[in-house]
Amino acid sequence: MALNLTINTNNLPLGALLAAEHVKDSVPVSVEEGKDNRLHVSDAIQFNDVNSISRYLARLAPALGLYGSNMMEQTEIDHWLEFSARHLCGQPGLAEALGELDLALSLRTFLVGHAVTLADLSVWAALKGHEGWPSQGKSFSHINRWFSFLSSQVPFSAVGNKYANKKA
Amino acid sequence: MSMYQVKPICGGDIKIDLPTCMYKLANIHAQQGTGCNPEHVDPAVKALEARQNEIMRKLYELKAAVEGLAKTVTTPDADLDLTVSSSLSSQSSSSTTFKGTTDLDTQLGKDHGALRDIVVNANPAHPPLTLLVLHSLLSQRYRVLSTVHVHSSVAGVPPQLLSCLGPRHADSYARQMFQLGFTLIWKDVPKVEMKFSIQNMCPIKGEANVARFLFKLLAPYPSDPALATLVDSWVDTAFFQLLDGSAKERAAVLRALNSALGRNPWLAGPDVSLADITCYCCVLQSGSVSSAPANVQRWLKSCENLGYFGPAKLLLQ
Repeated sequence: MALNLTINTNNLPLGALLAAEHVKDSVPVSVEEGKDNRLHVSDAIQFNDVNSISRYLARLAPALGLYGSNMMEQTEIDHWLEFSARHLCGQPGLAEALGELDLALSLRTFLVGHAVTLADLSVWAALKGHEGWPSQGKSFSHINRWFSFLSSQVPFSAVGNKYANKKA
Repeated sequence: MSMYQVKPICGGDIKIDLPTCMYKLANIHAQQGTGCNPEHVDPAVKALEARQNEIMRKLYELKAAVEGLAKTVTTPDADLDLTVSSSLSSQSSSSTTFKGTTDLDTQLGKDHGALRDIVVNANPAHPPLTLLVLHSLLSQRYRVLSTVHVHSSVAGVPPQLLSCLGPRHADSYARQMFQLGFTLIWKDVPKVEMKFSIQNMCPIKGEANVARFLFKLLAPYPSDPALATLVDSWVDTAFFQLLDGSAKERAAVLRALNSALGRNPWLAGPDVSLADITCYCCVLQSGSVSSAPANVQRWLKSCENLGYFGPAKLLLQ
């Protein structure tokens, strides 16, 4: 049975769409447009926020390692999920948050561990959907390197072309 | 019965010329050295003593059994968890900890020679109740060396915050005797921060994420992806909407809690989880206890019956 993800086109859950794109070979997810963001799991359980949807999809496909390979990585991923929800989706204090992100990326290729994880997905999605990012992003070289590296990868470019550009 | 024996202070047979105008009394010190010897205790007294000890032990067991039964009556799934059986079989009166075996080495990876130190920076204006509760649960499970410090950025930290991790440990100089170090620093930080392994981990911000980390040291998350995510979703809701949200959001969360608790005894299914711990602390901290609907009230009582929340309640007074 395929999972059904409903998305709100005015408030695109890019992070969740990216997670769905990553896991699509092991977990088929059908996407349809609707009024709000919702992943229907069972009659009793459905997830409405992007972080929960991404977490659930990542847990369904543990072999991909999207939720890290050990407890410390999971904790770091939790940190970045909250970071993107709190500091990158709200407008004020973007420069400060970007400074912190830039510092964290200075010695890293991916945000957590040595492979792509939910942390990369959610932070990338938050920046992609942020109006202030292209203008403010110039001065953060590490973020720029990481952002364009991810943007060139297949799942990211697929989601970017399909959804993010539609909004503009 | 084995007491330190004192030698006679004076000899027993000193001749003193006594006046004859007084009553004569037999020497009350006459039979020294015979009664104090442990070998000469009457066996009947010993038997009596053994009987008393046995009765006390039975009374103690009975008390534990009654306490366990009382919990079954007032807590929805106490008959499912190990509280009752463990308090019946062992005489320790410590409250229950979580099911499932977790071992620090398997959880954190074996790192020979490295000491595991958790350092938490928290703002005294918003004491992280969940973390204090989890700390006391960790202390029941592991040997934890806990210390509290005050950073120079804050002044006038109330005394109950300074002693919130319990009394200072007597063996604090011998760090290697402990499995975990837990250092709480009261500091002027906007959000709770945790530093654990500086080399491989970035500092973890947000009480929710620190709570998830500490809880995983106690018990594994549910293996079912939906339940595990449900736990995470409630943890987010507790901190984002109950603690930091508006009155309208708080009311919405209370309604959601109420309907979830109408279906299940606990928030994420049949067992107590991190979801219950964080939501309980946040409901208390946001002052929504009096406005909570019926199912939530019942669940708050069930949580209290578990007895984990001593540190949280202490700070809220």
